[in-house]
Amino acid sequence: MIYPIIGVLVGILVGLYLPIVPQAYVKLLSVALMAALDSGLGGIRAAKEGCYDNEIFISGFFVNGLLAVFLCYSGIRLGIDLYFVAVLAFGLRIFTNIAIIRRLYLKK
Amino acid sequence: MFRDKQAKVLIFLVCMILGIMLATQFKSAENAKNSISQQRVEDLAERLKTAEKDKATLTEEVKKLHKQSGGDAMALEITALRARAGETAMEGPGVKVTLDDSTVVTKPGDNANLYIIHDDDLLRLINELRAAGAEALAVNKERLLDISEIRCAGPTVSVNNTRFSPPYQIIALGEPKTLESALRLRGGVIETLKFWGISVKVEQSDNLTVPAFKGTRRYEFAKVKEGAPQ
Repeated sequence: MIYPIIGVLVGILVGLYLPIVPQAYVKLLSVALMAALDSGLGGIRAAKEGCYDNEIFISGFFVNGLLAVFLCYSGIRLGIDLYFVAVLAFGLRIFTNIAIIRRLYLKK
Repeated sequence: MFRDKQAKVLIFLVCMILGIMLATQFKSAENAKNSISQQRVEDLAERLKTAEKDKATLTEEVKKLHKQSGGDAMALEITALRARAGETAMEGPGVKVTLDDSTVVTKPGDNANLYIIHDDDLLRLINELRAAGAEALAVNKERLLDISEIRCAGPTVSVNNTRFSPPYQIIALGEPKTLESALRLRGGVIETLKFWGISVKVEQSDNLTVPAFKGTRRYEFAKVKEGAPQ
Protein backbone atom coordinates (compact mmCIF):
# COMPACT_ATOMS: atom_id res chain seq x y z
CA MET A 1 0.00 0.00 0.00
CA ILE A 2 2.97 2.26 0.46
CA TYR A 3 3.94 2.44 -3.23
CA PRO A 4 0.78 4.10 -4.54
CA ILE A 5 0.85 6.74 -1.80
CA ILE A 6 4.50 7.58 -2.40
CA GLY A 7 3.78 7.68 -6.13
CA VAL A 8 0.96 10.18 -5.68
CA LEU A 9 3.08 12.39 -3.41
CA VAL A 10 6.02 12.40 -5.82
CA GLY A 11 3.60 13.15 -8.67
CA ILE A 12 2.12 16.11 -6.81
CA LEU A 13 5.59 17.49 -6.09
CA VAL A 14 6.54 17.19 -9.78
CA GLY A 15 3.20 18.60 -10.91
CA LEU A 16 3.59 21.73 -8.83
CA TYR A 17 6.57 22.68 -10.96
CA LEU A 18 4.84 22.07 -14.28
CA PRO A 19 3.22 24.91 -16.23
CA ILE A 20 -0.47 25.63 -15.96
CA VAL A 21 -2.75 23.92 -18.44
CA PRO A 22 -4.47 26.36 -20.82
CA GLN A 23 -8.11 27.05 -20.01
CA ALA A 24 -9.26 25.24 -23.16
CA TYR A 25 -7.79 21.91 -22.05
CA VAL A 26 -8.87 21.92 -18.43
CA LYS A 27 -11.97 19.87 -19.16
CA LEU A 28 -9.99 17.26 -21.06
CA LEU A 29 -7.45 17.00 -18.28
CA SER A 30 -10.12 16.61 -15.65
CA VAL A 31 -11.65 13.71 -17.54
CA ALA A 32 -8.22 12.12 -17.90
CA LEU A 33 -7.72 12.62 -14.19
CA MET A 34 -10.96 10.81 -13.41
CA ALA A 35 -9.91 7.96 -15.70
CA ALA A 36 -6.49 7.72 -14.05
CA LEU A 37 -8.04 7.75 -10.58
CA ASP A 38 -10.42 4.99 -11.60
CA SER A 39 -7.61 2.89 -13.09
CA GLY A 40 -5.39 3.35 -10.04
CA LEU A 41 -8.13 2.30 -7.65
CA GLY A 42 -9.03 -0.55 -10.00
CA GLY A 43 -5.45 -1.75 -9.84
CA ILE A 44 -5.41 -1.66 -6.05
CA ARG A 45 -8.68 -3.52 -5.91
CA ALA A 46 -7.42 -6.16 -8.33
CA ALA A 47 -4.30 -6.59 -6.25
CA LYS A 48 -6.45 -7.06 -3.15
CA GLU A 49 -8.56 -9.61 -4.90
CA GLY A 50 -5.45 -11.37 -6.07
CA CYS A 51 -6.22 -11.20 -9.75
CA TYR A 52 -3.88 -8.34 -10.57
CA ASP A 53 -2.39 -8.42 -14.06
CA ASN A 54 0.26 -6.04 -15.27
CA GLU A 55 -0.91 -5.84 -18.84
CA ILE A 56 -4.55 -5.31 -18.02
CA PHE A 57 -3.65 -2.64 -15.51
CA ILE A 58 -1.33 -0.63 -17.79
CA SER A 59 -3.46 -0.97 -20.91
CA GLY A 60 -6.57 -0.08 -18.91
CA PHE A 61 -4.89 2.98 -17.49
CA PHE A 62 -3.81 4.44 -20.81
CA VAL A 63 -6.68 3.27 -23.01
CA ASN A 64 -9.32 4.48 -20.54
CA GLY A 65 -7.61 7.84 -20.15
CA LEU A 66 -7.09 8.45 -23.86
CA LEU A 67 -10.57 7.24 -24.75
CA ALA A 68 -12.13 9.52 -22.16
CA VAL A 69 -10.15 12.50 -23.44
CA PHE A 70 -11.09 11.69 -27.03
CA LEU A 71 -14.75 11.34 -26.10
CA CYS A 72 -14.72 14.65 -24.30
CA TYR A 73 -12.90 16.37 -27.15
CA SER A 74 -15.33 15.11 -29.79
CA GLY A 75 -18.16 16.15 -27.49
CA ILE A 76 -16.82 19.68 -27.39
CA ARG A 77 -16.49 19.64 -31.17
CA LEU A 78 -20.00 18.33 -31.70
CA GLY A 79 -21.58 20.53 -29.08
CA ILE A 80 -22.59 17.60 -26.88
CA ASP A 81 -21.58 17.61 -23.24
CA LEU A 82 -20.00 14.15 -23.28
CA TYR A 83 -17.69 15.50 -20.60
CA PHE A 84 -20.39 14.98 -17.99
CA VAL A 85 -21.01 11.44 -19.17
CA ALA A 86 -17.34 10.54 -18.76
CA VAL A 87 -17.11 12.17 -15.36
CA LEU A 88 -20.29 10.44 -14.19
CA ALA A 89 -19.22 7.01 -15.44
CA PHE A 90 -15.77 7.27 -13.89
CA GLY A 91 -17.23 8.68 -10.71
CA LEU A 92 -19.53 5.70 -10.32
CA ARG A 93 -16.70 3.29 -10.98
CA ILE A 94 -14.44 5.04 -8.50
CA PHE A 95 -17.09 4.71 -5.80
CA THR A 96 -17.60 1.04 -6.59
CA ASN A 97 -13.87 0.39 -6.47
CA ILE A 98 -13.48 2.21 -3.18
CA ALA A 99 -16.39 0.27 -1.73
CA ILE A 100 -14.88 -3.06 -2.78
CA ILE A 101 -11.44 -2.10 -1.45
CA ARG A 102 -13.00 -1.11 1.87
CA ARG A 103 -14.86 -4.39 2.14
CA LEU A 104 -11.77 -6.42 1.29
CA TYR A 105 -9.82 -4.56 3.99
CA LEU A 106 -12.52 -5.12 6.60
CA LYS A 107 -12.80 -8.84 5.74
CA LYS A 108 -9.16 -9.46 6.52
CA MET B 1 0.23 -6.86 -1.82
CA PHE B 2 1.72 -6.88 -5.30
CA ARG B 3 3.25 -10.05 -6.45
CA ASP B 4 6.40 -8.90 -8.17
CA LYS B 5 8.80 -5.98 -8.43
CA GLN B 6 7.54 -4.99 -11.85
CA ALA B 7 4.01 -4.52 -10.61
CA LYS B 8 5.26 -2.30 -7.80
CA VAL B 9 7.18 -0.10 -10.20
CA LEU B 10 4.22 0.14 -12.53
CA ILE B 11 1.74 1.04 -9.85
CA PHE B 12 4.22 3.59 -8.55
CA LEU B 13 4.52 5.17 -12.01
CA VAL B 14 0.77 5.21 -12.55
CA CYS B 15 0.20 6.82 -9.21
CA MET B 16 2.90 9.36 -9.99
CA ILE B 17 1.11 10.30 -13.21
CA LEU B 18 -2.08 10.54 -11.21
CA GLY B 19 -0.34 12.89 -8.78
CA ILE B 20 0.99 15.09 -11.58
CA MET B 21 -2.49 15.34 -13.03
CA LEU B 22 -3.95 16.18 -9.65
CA ALA B 23 -1.42 18.95 -9.08
CA THR B 24 -1.79 20.51 -12.51
CA GLN B 25 -5.55 20.32 -12.34
CA PHE B 26 -5.51 21.97 -8.94
CA LYS B 27 -3.26 24.74 -10.19
CA SER B 28 -5.40 25.28 -13.29
CA ALA B 29 -8.54 25.51 -11.19
CA GLU B 30 -6.89 28.06 -8.92
CA ASN B 31 -5.74 30.00 -11.94
CA ALA B 32 -9.21 29.98 -13.48
CA LYS B 33 -10.62 31.33 -10.25
CA ASN B 34 -8.23 34.25 -10.30
CA SER B 35 -8.36 35.11 -13.97
CA ILE B 36 -10.93 37.60 -15.15
CA SER B 37 -13.78 35.98 -16.97
CA GLN B 38 -14.88 37.06 -20.43
CA GLN B 39 -18.18 38.29 -19.04
CA ARG B 40 -16.39 40.64 -16.71
CA VAL B 41 -14.18 41.94 -19.51
CA GLU B 42 -17.21 42.77 -21.64
CA ASP B 43 -18.91 44.41 -18.70
CA LEU B 44 -15.91 46.61 -18.03
CA ALA B 45 -15.55 47.53 -21.70
CA GLU B 46 -19.19 48.58 -21.75
CA ARG B 47 -18.72 50.74 -18.69
CA LEU B 48 -15.62 52.32 -20.15
CA LYS B 49 -17.57 53.23 -23.27
CA THR B 50 -20.35 54.91 -21.32
CA ALA B 51 -17.83 56.72 -19.17
CA GLU B 52 -16.10 58.06 -22.27
CA LYS B 53 -19.40 59.21 -23.70
CA ASP B 54 -20.21 60.96 -20.46
CA LYS B 55 -16.85 62.62 -20.51
CA ALA B 56 -17.39 63.91 -24.04
CA THR B 57 -20.77 65.46 -23.16
CA LEU B 58 -19.40 66.97 -19.98
CA THR B 59 -16.45 68.48 -21.83
CA GLU B 60 -18.89 69.99 -24.26
CA GLU B 61 -20.87 71.42 -21.36
CA VAL B 62 -17.76 72.86 -19.77
CA LYS B 63 -16.91 74.55 -23.03
CA LYS B 64 -20.40 75.98 -23.28
CA LEU B 65 -20.39 77.23 -19.71
CA HIS B 66 -16.96 78.68 -20.19
CA LYS B 67 -18.25 80.62 -23.12
CA GLN B 68 -21.22 81.93 -21.15
CA SER B 69 -19.52 82.92 -17.95
CA GLY B 70 -16.73 85.41 -17.63
CA GLY B 71 -13.96 85.80 -20.14
CA ASP B 72 -16.15 88.15 -22.18
CA ALA B 73 -13.14 89.93 -23.55
CA MET B 74 -11.67 86.60 -24.53
CA ALA B 75 -14.90 85.53 -26.19
CA LEU B 76 -15.04 88.77 -28.14
CA GLU B 77 -11.47 88.35 -29.21
CA ILE B 78 -12.17 84.79 -30.33
CA THR B 79 -15.22 85.87 -32.32
CA ALA B 80 -13.20 88.61 -33.99
CA LEU B 81 -10.43 86.18 -34.88
CA ARG B 82 -12.89 83.65 -36.21
CA ALA B 83 -14.51 86.30 -38.35
CA ARG B 84 -11.14 87.24 -39.72
CA ALA B 85 -10.33 83.61 -40.39
CA GLY B 86 -13.61 83.22 -42.27
CA GLU B 87 -15.09 80.72 -39.86
CA THR B 88 -18.25 82.74 -39.25
CA ALA B 89 -20.98 83.69 -41.65
CA MET B 90 -21.01 87.42 -42.46
CA GLU B 91 -23.83 89.70 -43.48
CA GLY B 92 -24.11 93.23 -44.72
CA PRO B 93 -24.55 95.33 -47.84
CA GLY B 94 -22.95 94.23 -51.08
CA VAL B 95 -23.60 92.97 -54.55
CA LYS B 96 -24.81 89.70 -55.96
CA VAL B 97 -23.40 88.84 -59.38
CA THR B 98 -24.97 86.04 -61.37
CA LEU B 99 -23.14 84.63 -64.36
CA ASP B 100 -24.51 82.18 -66.87
CA ASP B 101 -23.19 80.65 -70.05
CA SER B 102 -23.67 82.36 -73.35
CA THR B 103 -27.01 81.98 -75.07
CA VAL B 104 -25.47 82.91 -78.40
CA VAL B 105 -25.77 80.13 -80.93
CA THR B 106 -22.26 79.25 -82.03
CA LYS B 107 -21.66 79.61 -85.69
CA PRO B 108 -20.00 76.74 -87.50
CA GLY B 109 -16.26 77.13 -87.27
CA ASP B 110 -16.51 79.15 -84.06
CA ASN B 111 -14.73 77.97 -80.96
CA ALA B 112 -17.51 77.03 -78.50
CA ASN B 113 -15.00 77.37 -75.70
CA LEU B 114 -15.11 81.12 -76.01
CA TYR B 115 -18.79 81.25 -75.13
CA ILE B 116 -18.69 79.46 -71.82
CA ILE B 117 -17.53 80.68 -68.45
CA HIS B 118 -14.01 79.70 -67.48
CA ASP B 119 -12.22 79.78 -64.20
CA ASP B 120 -10.21 82.80 -65.26
CA ASP B 121 -13.40 84.75 -65.97
CA LEU B 122 -14.46 84.13 -62.40
CA LEU B 123 -11.00 84.94 -61.14
CA ARG B 124 -10.89 88.24 -62.96
CA LEU B 125 -14.29 89.16 -61.64
CA ILE B 126 -13.35 88.30 -58.09
CA ASN B 127 -10.06 90.09 -58.41
CA GLU B 128 -11.92 93.19 -59.48
CA LEU B 129 -14.28 92.90 -56.54
CA ARG B 130 -11.37 92.55 -54.15
CA ALA B 131 -9.69 95.54 -55.65
CA ALA B 132 -12.88 97.47 -55.08
CA GLY B 133 -12.75 96.64 -51.39
CA ALA B 134 -14.94 93.57 -51.02
CA GLU B 135 -14.63 92.31 -47.47
CA ALA B 136 -16.15 88.84 -47.80
CA LEU B 137 -16.70 86.79 -50.91
CA ALA B 138 -18.54 83.62 -51.73
CA VAL B 139 -19.11 81.63 -54.89
CA ASN B 140 -22.29 79.54 -54.88
CA LYS B 141 -22.33 79.36 -51.06
CA GLU B 142 -18.63 78.51 -50.84
CA ARG B 143 -16.71 81.08 -48.88
CA LEU B 144 -13.62 82.39 -50.62
CA LEU B 145 -10.56 82.59 -48.42
CA ASP B 146 -6.89 83.00 -49.05
CA ILE B 147 -6.61 79.24 -49.48
CA SER B 148 -9.64 78.84 -51.75
CA GLU B 149 -8.99 77.79 -55.29
CA ILE B 150 -11.02 78.59 -58.36
CA ARG B 151 -10.04 76.28 -61.09
CA CYS B 152 -11.34 74.49 -64.08
CA ALA B 153 -12.49 70.95 -63.40
CA GLY B 154 -13.73 69.57 -66.67
CA PRO B 155 -16.98 71.27 -67.55
CA THR B 156 -17.31 72.56 -64.00
CA VAL B 157 -15.45 74.97 -61.79
CA SER B 158 -14.09 73.80 -58.48
CA VAL B 159 -14.13 76.11 -55.46
CA ASN B 160 -12.89 74.83 -52.10
CA ASN B 161 -12.82 71.39 -53.71
CA THR B 162 -16.53 71.61 -54.41
CA ARG B 163 -17.59 71.55 -58.03
CA PHE B 164 -20.12 73.92 -59.50
CA SER B 165 -21.67 74.28 -62.89
CA PRO B 166 -23.26 77.44 -64.27
CA PRO B 167 -24.97 79.60 -63.25
CA TYR B 168 -22.45 80.98 -60.81
CA GLN B 169 -23.54 83.34 -58.12
CA ILE B 170 -20.93 85.52 -56.51
CA ILE B 171 -21.75 87.44 -53.36
CA ALA B 172 -19.44 90.21 -52.27
CA LEU B 173 -19.89 92.27 -49.13
CA GLY B 174 -18.70 95.86 -49.34
CA GLU B 175 -19.87 99.25 -50.47
CA PRO B 176 -22.47 98.24 -53.13
CA LYS B 177 -21.99 101.23 -55.40
CA THR B 178 -18.22 100.99 -55.48
CA LEU B 179 -18.36 97.30 -56.19
CA GLU B 180 -20.84 97.59 -59.01
CA SER B 181 -19.11 100.48 -60.67
CA ALA B 182 -15.80 98.63 -60.48
CA LEU B 183 -17.38 95.79 -62.41
CA ARG B 184 -19.05 98.05 -64.93
CA LEU B 185 -15.94 100.02 -65.85
CA ARG B 186 -15.56 100.77 -69.54
CA GLY B 187 -13.42 97.98 -70.91
CA GLY B 188 -13.83 96.19 -67.60
CA VAL B 189 -14.83 92.66 -66.71
CA ILE B 190 -18.51 92.82 -67.49
CA GLU B 191 -17.99 94.40 -70.84
CA THR B 192 -15.57 91.68 -71.84
CA LEU B 193 -17.91 88.96 -70.71
CA LYS B 194 -20.88 90.54 -72.41
CA PHE B 195 -18.89 90.56 -75.63
CA TRP B 196 -18.96 86.79 -75.60
CA GLY B 197 -22.64 86.69 -74.83
CA ILE B 198 -22.19 85.57 -71.26
CA SER B 199 -25.08 86.83 -69.19
CA VAL B 200 -24.04 88.92 -66.21
CA LYS B 201 -26.54 90.21 -63.68
CA VAL B 202 -25.47 92.55 -60.90
CA GLU B 203 -27.81 93.28 -58.03
CA GLN B 204 -27.08 95.66 -55.20
CA SER B 205 -28.51 94.73 -51.85
CA ASP B 206 -28.37 96.01 -48.29
CA ASN B 207 -28.64 92.64 -46.69
CA LEU B 208 -26.58 89.80 -48.11
CA THR B 209 -25.15 86.82 -46.29
CA VAL B 210 -21.86 85.12 -46.96
CA PRO B 211 -21.59 81.64 -45.43
CA ALA B 212 -18.80 80.48 -43.18
CA PHE B 213 -15.88 78.49 -44.48
CA LYS B 214 -16.92 74.86 -44.21
CA GLY B 215 -13.62 73.12 -44.78
CA THR B 216 -10.72 72.68 -42.42
CA ARG B 217 -7.40 74.31 -42.56
CA ARG B 218 -4.25 72.54 -41.49
CA TYR B 219 -0.70 73.62 -41.44
CA GLU B 220 1.40 70.69 -42.48
CA PHE B 221 4.46 72.50 -43.68
CA ALA B 222 4.15 76.08 -42.53
CA LYS B 223 4.99 76.73 -38.90
CA VAL B 224 4.68 79.80 -36.75
CA LYS B 225 8.01 81.52 -36.87
CA GLU B 226 9.84 81.52 -33.59
CA GLY B 227 9.97 84.88 -31.90
CA ALA B 228 7.01 86.09 -33.93
CA PRO B 229 4.90 88.65 -32.08
CA GLN B 230 2.20 86.90 -30.16
